[in-house]
Amino acid sequence: MPTQPTIRDHLEEDAWQNHAEFAQRQSRKHQAGLRRRPLRWEDRALLIISAILLLLLIIRVETARADENDDDFFGLEFQDAAAIQRTVAMDTGIQVEVTGLTARVHVEQVFQNTGQHWTEATYRFPLPAGSAVDRMRVHVGDRILEGQIEEKAEARRQYSQAMASGKTASLVEQQRSNQFETRLANIAPGDTIKVSISFLTRVNFRDGAFSLRIPMTFTPRWEGAVTNGEATPIHYTNSAREPMDDHRLTIDVDLRSGMNLSSIESRYHDVDIHPSLNGYRVFLADPDTRSDRVFELNWTPEFGSAPESSIASYDAGDATYALLMLAPPLAEAISPQPREVVFIIDTSGSMEGTSMEQAKASLQLGLEFLGPDDRFNLVRFSSESEKLFDESVPVYPAYLEQASGFIDRLSANGGTVMAPALNMAMNLPEQDGLLRQIVFVTDGSIGNERDLLLQIGEELRDSRLFTVSIGSAPNAWFMRKSAEIGRGSHTHIGKLEEVEEQMTRLWTRIENPAIQNICVDWGMDAEFYPEVIPDLYAGEPLWVFAKLPLSPHEVTICGELQGRYWEMTSRELPGSGSGNLATLWARSKIESLEDSRIFGADPDVIRADVLDLALEFGLLTQYTSLVAVDKTPANPATGKSGSESIPSLLPAGSGFSAGFSKTATGWVVRLIMALFAILAVTAMLLYVPPRSPMAPSPP
Amino acid sequence: MRTPRHWLYAAVSLTAAFFSLLLLVQALWIPVKAGVAQWLIERSWENALEGDVDTQPWPWADTRPVAVLSVPSQDISQVVLEGNSGRNLAFGPVFTDGTASGRDMVISGHRDTHFRFLSALSPGDLIGISNRDSTRWFEVQELDVIDSSERELLIEPGLDRISLVTCYPFDALQAGGPLRYVVTALPVKNQPLRRLPSSG
Repeated sequence: MPTQPTIRDHLEEDAWQNHAEFAQRQSRKHQAGLRRRPLRWEDRALLIISAILLLLLIIRVETARADENDDDFFGLEFQDAAAIQRTVAMDTGIQVEVTGLTARVHVEQVFQNTGQHWTEATYRFPLPAGSAVDRMRVHVGDRILEGQIEEKAEARRQYSQAMASGKTASLVEQQRSNQFETRLANIAPGDTIKVSISFLTRVNFRDGAFSLRIPMTFTPRWEGAVTNGEATPIHYTNSAREPMDDHRLTIDVDLRSGMNLSSIESRYHDVDIHPSLNGYRVFLADPDTRSDRVFELNWTPEFGSAPESSIASYDAGDATYALLMLAPPLAEAISPQPREVVFIIDTSGSMEGTSMEQAKASLQLGLEFLGPDDRFNLVRFSSESEKLFDESVPVYPAYLEQASGFIDRLSANGGTVMAPALNMAMNLPEQDGLLRQIVFVTDGSIGNERDLLLQIGEELRDSRLFTVSIGSAPNAWFMRKSAEIGRGSHTHIGKLEEVEEQMTRLWTRIENPAIQNICVDWGMDAEFYPEVIPDLYAGEPLWVFAKLPLSPHEVTICGELQGRYWEMTSRELPGSGSGNLATLWARSKIESLEDSRIFGADPDVIRADVLDLALEFGLLTQYTSLVAVDKTPANPATGKSGSESIPSLLPAGSGFSAGFSKTATGWVVRLIMALFAILAVTAMLLYVPPRSPMAPSPP
Repeated sequence: MRTPRHWLYAAVSLTAAFFSLLLLVQALWIPVKAGVAQWLIERSWENALEGDVDTQPWPWADTRPVAVLSVPSQDISQVVLEGNSGRNLAFGPVFTDGTASGRDMVISGHRDTHFRFLSALSPGDLIGISNRDSTRWFEVQELDVIDSSERELLIEPGLDRISLVTCYPFDALQAGGPLRYVVTALPVKNQPLRRLPSSG
């Protein structure tokens, strides 16, 4: 690399020519350098840096990529020998009934086999996360395929029997929890296919507003033929009567809110809203709406200055099912009550890293929210427990500073032994007239859930337990359950950025307990769930499902409002409930039965009870699944007759989805990098840089 | 006669030397930790078998051994830990939370340490799960590669099966990809005649 000679170079050149001794010394050095192929040290550094960059580049190249997934199509897919035909529904009708925090969604879609052949097809529908289809009816031509809830073992037996006897059986194992899929056989040319499915889904309640989302992206973004890289081309069509007559979508939401609403909004669709007996009806305003967007409905309850309640009931003949809704007064109408807040923080080894940071941030934020009349304390635990103050202290700056320093110094190490910490917090000396709220921050990775829940149930007394779970894979079930037993609530913090939002929500919630120690007198023998009625907090209504021998006339609700006894009477609105109340009551009862397993109930008895309920009310549980039964196979080509059963095994609503762990350490790469780096450094050290940038020939 | 350039050069080289040695130690630390931890865990498992309840492999451990996973065809016997945190995964295979006591069990392990052997499994291989009292045998039914960003692992508490999960591809240089290798095994009716070399 030729460089401009500098003054220094000129001087050196001069020395070469005029000072023999210097020239000799320099040329000796230079010859020694020559044997090692001299490179200027800047060049070497550059080489090393580029080698490292190259290495990083190689590592960046991903070795494998997932295939492009084209399963995102929702509708009917005909499988032919020659091609795959994807068809969008002609008509889609959606009916929704909202009861409390649950919505029952009925979907009806109509398709047509526009092809020339007998064929089979796969039907797919998007589901909201956590939902599973529990009712199904498919008309193909004049055949009917009907779903019924059966015991899982029985369903599997039927399936394998059908397989063994060579019948067309289709096993529909749901691969993703957000999609319903079923296979239909023997569809004649020109047949009309009508699919009706129904599922229960959760209504979200956040920041004082309800929100219901129904995914319905069953319009493909592309039209015409697309090749999927394999031999079979995929065609997209509309089962439309006329090209312009795209597909019709109707939506009808029956919002049985049981209380006044201050607003109802549909986020992406134009809707008409009408008041009804027990709430509101919401219809899609434009019948030609394309079904290519999520339907989202948001509604906000209107709270008054006093608590309100409403009762809906449904007479099922042998029993009446009722729903009691309790709405708290406006937050402004409640004066905050002084409390004693005890924070428990998990500092076990599993909390190491981001979990610990999140937990610390949550606690620091918690300290800021303490009111002037509150008292507080801190308990930390891993293998052993430790409390900051022997007795809860008032919120003085000195104490706050001490607590803040204590939190800062916490580090994650050791085992998870929760029991003594809970014990310590629950048995702190009582503070006169103060409600004790225990805020328990942990990632919940424990094994002895049952003992802990028992302990909480026995020792908590009048305290309230609020659990805050941290991290990506918390034991959510334990956290939710212990908060339920502790008449508190469960908050989950997944990311560091969520700390502020989630903790602020928890805090505004718990500083305003509206009604505590709620009791309900139904005026007769009642079996109701939840069995332990939680406290009523500002901004959040609550619901109780009951089974009664007769229609309830007057229901008395009592409790403690602002520390004083409070009572109100509620009357039912006649004809205000539907059969959905029975289903939801059964679901609450099943949940309660499953919970009793932890408290030592006989698993076989529970299983039998749950199974009975599930079969009676048609519910998906861990013991039951939906089985599709086809009654009339009608393919004249094969000439088969007689009834044929095609069970399709769908996951129960009670199954859960496990997250994937990161199961690679990448140590081999690190090792290779380390070896490369060592090689590079050795190279650097071996070459002592020549002093002169010029390398003139020796004289 | 040293110039500042020489000093800079020496400083850069020595710093680089220090960091590359650090990198080497860090890299080798992972398999060493994996090996040593398994040895300690095996010891605590033996204690557990002798009736010592709540035995921890080392005093500050936040996990405990719950079962032994054995694969005779690969000459594998590993102690499975409780709690699928990244920290525990470094020490050995772990049960996904909530599946250790159920019938539908999910065990994850690192593809480049404990669960490297999954690549050699084929349908029909036997997998043994031993707890304190007994050993149950499962037969490998399916080997699947799934995309964790597309699919979920659905756990059905009523189903009797075991799934071994690790990252895929096995020889990928970079960790943290979305693909997972899932080995599904169902219980065998008859216990195999050949007994395993006892794992403790």
